[in-house]
Amino acid sequence: MNYQAIRAAVENPLLSAFSGLSPAVPVYFDNITAVPPNTTTEYVRVNVTFGITNEPTLTSSVDNARGAIVIRIFTEKGRGPARNQTLLTTAVNVLEALNDTAKTTSGVFFRVGEINGPTFSATEAAPHFVGRIDTSYVATVLS
Amino acid sequence: MARDIKFLVKDIEEATINAARTACVEIMNGLVEAGPGYSGEFSSAWYAVEQGQSPGKPRSKQGLYKYNLRNVPKTKFKSSGVWFQIVNGADHAAEAMDLVEGRFISQLDQDKYPIKDPVNTGRRTGARRGEVTSGAGFAISTAPLDWWSTYNAGGALSNDLARGVQQGFGKARGFK
Repeated sequence: MNYQAIRAAVENPLLSAFSGLSPAVPVYFDNITAVPPNTTTEYVRVNVTFGITNEPTLTSSVDNARGAIVIRIFTEKGRGPARNQTLLTTAVNVLEALNDTAKTTSGVFFRVGEINGPTFSATEAAPHFVGRIDTSYVATVLS
Repeated sequence: MARDIKFLVKDIEEATINAARTACVEIMNGLVEAGPGYSGEFSSAWYAVEQGQSPGKPRSKQGLYKYNLRNVPKTKFKSSGVWFQIVNGADHAAEAMDLVEGRFISQLDQDKYPIKDPVNTGRRTGARRGEVTSGAGFAISTAPLDWWSTYNAGGALSNDLARGVQQGFGKARGFK
């Protein structure tokens, strides 16, 4: 099992997509402290979690993992949902592209499930409007 | 002696209701295990309801709640063609499930400790419940960030559902 390869399979394309925007939007992954919560700077948080590893399947491969991907988009509060939704679209496009990737003989074969959301929230105390999507994934490490 | 075939439809109906109820119990206990537990209030507020209906309030604040078939009355499963949801009726459910930001009290200002072992103790790094990292600080998290999404997507939900259906169906009359 190669958890790092699985994580990279989803984190790298998300990082590239948001870095490629103009202006680039910072992306923070697990165990990285995001920008201070009292700023209005927009940013993205991506959390990749692991559920069951090596669940028996009908294929010969047992080197697989299931889990969840949670993407939160933080944009300035009080300015409407448009910017947040634009950034959410970028994230959803990346997830859709993952499902279009052909299976190869090595690396990680990654498939995401249905996407829940987006849901939006904003609290009085925080300066951000938060859009959230999450999805399941199944990743198989090929060798 | 073999059971008369005239009972087949009724037996299947009963077995299906048993399966659904047992699956609900398995899932709700799975959620208690996966989720946070400070006072136990959130753990006691899971309800199986028809889609669109509201859940009840927390049942207890005395430790982690253990669900059984009494929490999922048979009468609830009499209507056919409806979807059931398992939802939490605690006031702070959305915060507990990391769905929205919240305001949290430092452990320094608490006069008690969580009933579940913390998964992280230290500095708060964000406004969501699970955003706590190890290190100097007085924040406590008793379930990993995004435990709810992980339970749903990571395979635990389908395992609990399968186990519950298997157990419940097998207990019904005519299928033992």
